[in-house]
Amino acid sequence: MEKRSSCRKQKNHRSSLIWFLFLLPAILGIILFIAYPTIESFRLSFFKSNGTVEKFVGLKNYIYVFNNEVFRKAFFNTFMITFFQIVITLPIAFLIACGINYLEIGKNLLKCLFFIPYVTPAIAAGTLFLFVLHPNGILNQFTGLLGIPSISWLENGWSARFGAVFLSVWRGMGFNVVIFLAYLQAISPEYYEAAQIDGCGGVQSMRYITLPLMKNAFGVLFIMGWINGLQRFTDVYALGGMTGSPARALHTLVAFIYERGFGNFEFGVASAASYILFAIIFIFTLFN
Amino acid sequence: MKDNYKKRKKTQNLVLFLILLLVGILFIMPFVWMTVVSFERYANIQPPFPPSFTIKNPSLFNFKVITENGNLTRAYKNSLIVAVCSVLVNIVSVMMAGYALSKGKFKGKKVVLIIILATMMIPFETRMIPMYKMFAKIGLTNNFIPLIVPNIIDALGIMLAKNYFDSLPTSLGEAAEMDGAGSFRTFFQIYLPLTSPIAATIVILKFMDSWNAFLWPLVILTGRETRTVPVFISAFSYGTRMAGSTMTVAFLGIIPVVIVFLILQKYIIQSIALSGVKGE
Repeated sequence: MEKRSSCRKQKNHRSSLIWFLFLLPAILGIILFIAYPTIESFRLSFFKSNGTVEKFVGLKNYIYVFNNEVFRKAFFNTFMITFFQIVITLPIAFLIACGINYLEIGKNLLKCLFFIPYVTPAIAAGTLFLFVLHPNGILNQFTGLLGIPSISWLENGWSARFGAVFLSVWRGMGFNVVIFLAYLQAISPEYYEAAQIDGCGGVQSMRYITLPLMKNAFGVLFIMGWINGLQRFTDVYALGGMTGSPARALHTLVAFIYERGFGNFEFGVASAASYILFAIIFIFTLFN
Repeated sequence: MKDNYKKRKKTQNLVLFLILLLVGILFIMPFVWMTVVSFERYANIQPPFPPSFTIKNPSLFNFKVITENGNLTRAYKNSLIVAVCSVLVNIVSVMMAGYALSKGKFKGKKVVLIIILATMMIPFETRMIPMYKMFAKIGLTNNFIPLIVPNIIDALGIMLAKNYFDSLPTSLGEAAEMDGAGSFRTFFQIYLPLTSPIAATIVILKFMDSWNAFLWPLVILTGRETRTVPVFISAFSYGTRMAGSTMTVAFLGIIPVVIVFLILQKYIIQSIALSGVKGE
């Protein structure tokens, strides 16, 4: 009896080892590219470092970053652009998705049209928008048709930020539409049939069936929008370069980390900023 | 009355379709304009403003400017090498880990699962500087390896694979093992051939990820010869402010992607929807 159980134990042990082998690449990846860099970045955030010489400075990097005018501006820009991106994108994407879901023709064509901007490389889309947002560009021509005076989008702070909002709404719309559609299609048509029998109109069905069932979809897209938006870099880099011209209006948190880390080789300051970013993103994931 | 209802629904559909189509066309207008400018001979000298949708002097001049000022073919080759290798490294690791987390019986499975989920919360930017220092120390800057190897860990891919293995019956593996197949043989011969739908999804997501990546390649690739397409586009448009050539470089970055998308659109949209719905 004893012998048998020890034999089984051995077999269990051996099979555990096999499963461990299956997980080995992932575990190695976690140690090398997740755990080590995360801890090392935390350590660096307490040092003054240029890559070769290091000196312990305690919380000085964090204090410096919080008091830094450029960082505050980057913080503000990041939040502002993302806030407007989400506030504009979600309702419009929801309406488009409802429309496509209702249609009996051309569903695929429409999905594709809205989705194309999303698959293009962010840097190429941003480069294209240098000219879409040009004072004589296609956006002003379009708004001109509606009687809105022409704006030099990329020449002063606020309009440049809204130019970036415009780019991110345009590029992210398709993604939001597709996710909304996936959730909409998961709603059983029986609900609507029952409502119709009870004499509910379209608006009532929307108010009492669709919207409550779409709460999850809004939640998911809201959180995802924030997490991706907080990491904004590529599109604003295409519009305003590393310093986020004009006058740092397009400078974001990640651009700050990039500039301090790889422009000035202030690894300590950049690490402290990257931990602040981590903390903000962490708070958003908690909401999830 | 029923006929009336049907008819009304039909017109409703048509009107709605036309409205959405109009909005959709507005969405791709920038691409149309970009194409026009790219083929416009004098776009560099006389910027194409106000925008027009006809080509006045069709020419490949702008494309010539790009080939004379850099090697875009090389950039495409680089991007392709990086993307294909990233996908390969990724899919092997992700499938094996997903399988173990789904069908495996071992102590600490839950802990491993939680650790993998937790890795999703750590943004890349927080790890970027130590990762750069690590690769620089072993002399691997301006090299493709730092862009490829970190794809060995991909929590989203592992979760997608795990969920898929969960949906496959455990009895398949048990029967094979009863016949004397080892764990690796069961995995490769029984389960793996059944995973093509999810494998395709993971490959599509990773390929797009790698193809569009910008920040990390910008940090790692310092030489002209190793540039991937996004880094090439950025370097080119930063150096010039010529409307024609800059639009053309955007055109060359965007159009091939759009063509691939149109061919694979069903799979790509499905994959992205899955990553959005299940990724949370």
